[in-house]
Amino acid sequence: MSHDAPAVGMLLDEVVLDIEPGKIREFARATGALDPAHTAAESARGLAAPLATLTHSVAVGHLRDQQKFVEALGLDIRRVVVGEVAWHYARPLLAGDRLRASRRVIADEERDGSSGAMRLVTLETELVDESGAIAATVREVLIERRGGK
Amino acid sequence: MNAPTLRPGETMPVRRHGPVTRGDIVRFAGAGGDFNPLHYDDDAARAAGFDGVIAMGQYQAGLLAAAVSDWVGAENVASFRVRFARPVRVGDVVVLRGSVVSVERGLATIHLEAVVGESAVLTGSATVHTAAD
Repeated sequence: MSHDAPAVGMLLDEVVLDIEPGKIREFARATGALDPAHTAAESARGLAAPLATLTHSVAVGHLRDQQKFVEALGLDIRRVVVGEVAWHYARPLLAGDRLRASRRVIADEERDGSSGAMRLVTLETELVDESGAIAATVREVLIERRGGK
Repeated sequence: MNAPTLRPGETMPVRRHGPVTRGDIVRFAGAGGDFNPLHYDDDAARAAGFDGVIAMGQYQAGLLAAAVSDWVGAENVASFRVRFARPVRVGDVVVLRGSVVSVERGLATIHLEAVVGESAVLTGSATVHTAAD
């Protein structure tokens, strides 16, 4: 392998994501989410605060240093695409949640695909609330096409 | 909402977005914090081999997530996953579809896709807590 691969399990970055009602509204509007539970202070469904949209954790993009993590992974950003993303929810995320988002490398593999050699890096972010419980996890697979050197 | 009652074969209400505008993409960039020039600067996008700016994959993932959560309630969703197939460009009309493929032990699995014309731009799935019949 030609890259300096970080050890699997290594903590890549850690930020604190405050779920804010205004940010929930921005996501709802940007994605066409019409459910009033995203904007109501208290919904008829027993939710104590506005309900975050399913992909709200994307907002960590405002907090993370993308340049630093690409360098830490030894990736060439021009050859990288995100292949897939999966969210698992232990509970709904609500306005007022303060979540510590810790991102780790959980797999780093070389593979020969139909379009040549690829490096697949799987990252997992745990979103842990103030009680210490995991509220959600996000797993993303980054694909770096090797191409010619 | 209370956990929905879902049965195999049931379909999500079809949703259409678009034609996608540069403003739609920039609005999502503001929400999510992805300011890669590929998503607002045509020159940068052309240098990367595209005809013009493309949406970030999380834009279409968000559209699909909203279609699911407006149907079943975000608080009932146990998981949501997407696989990116091809980019969405300015002018594309994105059609979002889904259907329940199985229900086991109180959890429904929904297959999802976002298509532009005949091409899938995104495929995915969600698992949703369901009410007992």
